[in-house]
Amino acid sequence: MSLPTPQLFSIVAGSAEPIYRQLVDQVRRLVAGRQLVPGDTLPSVREVALQLAVNPMTVSKAYGLLELEGVLERRRGIGMVVAAHTGNTGDPGDRAALLRPTLERAAREARELELDPATVLSLFTQILKESA
Amino acid sequence: MTASPILMRGVSKRFDSKPILDGLDWEVGQGQVIGLLGRNGAGKSTLMECLLGLRETDGGSITLFGESPVALSDATRARIGYVPQKSDLFEWMTPLQLLAYFKALYPRWNDARVEGLLARWGFDLPLRHTPIRRLSGGEQQRLSIIRALGHEPELLVLDEPVSALDPAGRRDFLVELIDGVIERGTTVVFSTHILTDLERVALDVAFLKDGRIALQGDLGDLLDGAASEAGQGVHTPRSLEELFIEVTR
Repeated sequence: MSLPTPQLFSIVAGSAEPIYRQLVDQVRRLVAGRQLVPGDTLPSVREVALQLAVNPMTVSKAYGLLELEGVLERRRGIGMVVAAHTGNTGDPGDRAALLRPTLERAAREARELELDPATVLSLFTQILKESA
Repeated sequence: MTASPILMRGVSKRFDSKPILDGLDWEVGQGQVIGLLGRNGAGKSTLMECLLGLRETDGGSITLFGESPVALSDATRARIGYVPQKSDLFEWMTPLQLLAYFKALYPRWNDARVEGLLARWGFDLPLRHTPIRRLSGGEQQRLSIIRALGHEPELLVLDEPVSALDPAGRRDFLVELIDGVIERGTTVVFSTHILTDLERVALDVAFLKDGRIALQGDLGDLLDGAASEAGQGVHTPRSLEELFIEVTR
């Protein structure tokens, strides 16, 4: 099955997270959250590079790392597909671990803004409800 | 083994008595896409002009594909493209005249690519026949980029290539750079203060400080390294902007 290609990925240039890692993290999250399931084809390196205006080598690096991790596998003539055995996708604890870097960033910004934990948590709860 | 696109050893350049380049060593390998960063006045333009043989140096050696930049063969000259920060040459010509002039200088010229760029970058018929001096800064910069891509150089040196372009124009430029230039394995050196653009296309960065390359490395590794060095359990990542401030201060 092929994916809806329009903008599978989004990146933020200028953040502390190198672009290749943002791509790796996004694929991990999509796989863990089952938006990407085994057998799904990923857009080609060239497609992603042109869509996001990033160096193709950066996309290759991200795909390569995901292949090493066993999240993706390279299929001849097709490209990168989500691997059949992606290991830890089922465990909510593992999935939560993927959210940690984002939350750490949010926590740091909250401290910089001198917000107290209760305010931050209630805001996060509200956001979760909004997008549900 | 072919010679590096750029090899500089102990290069010095003074203006009056002020050293701008001070025993600078730098090598850029085949196919590298490298961002040259530094504060205003650090000498990025001077470095580019010296390496291209447009300025005399006071010492050291430079080779481009193994040849001295002040005595380049025609064949090697044709392998190099350069977009200066500001060009006030050929202002009396129209864009079409300028491109025809440069086409005649090179053994190879990709007409289809030039035509495609002109069409995509807003050079309609009237604009193609307007004297360059009457073009806007952004239009002049786009033309300068098209001119530098026409002969499909193997080494492209870009000095602040997008400074006059708006965000949409910058994005168009990045896509063009990725699509037709980086994909062909072209070696690219470019300076910019727009770090988000740099991060998208450069795999390596080099910081020019006190007349030398103070730091050079893989951009991903530098950002990762900056994050892990903070250590002690406290994860304090650095963006390229923070790295720039730290290295060049």
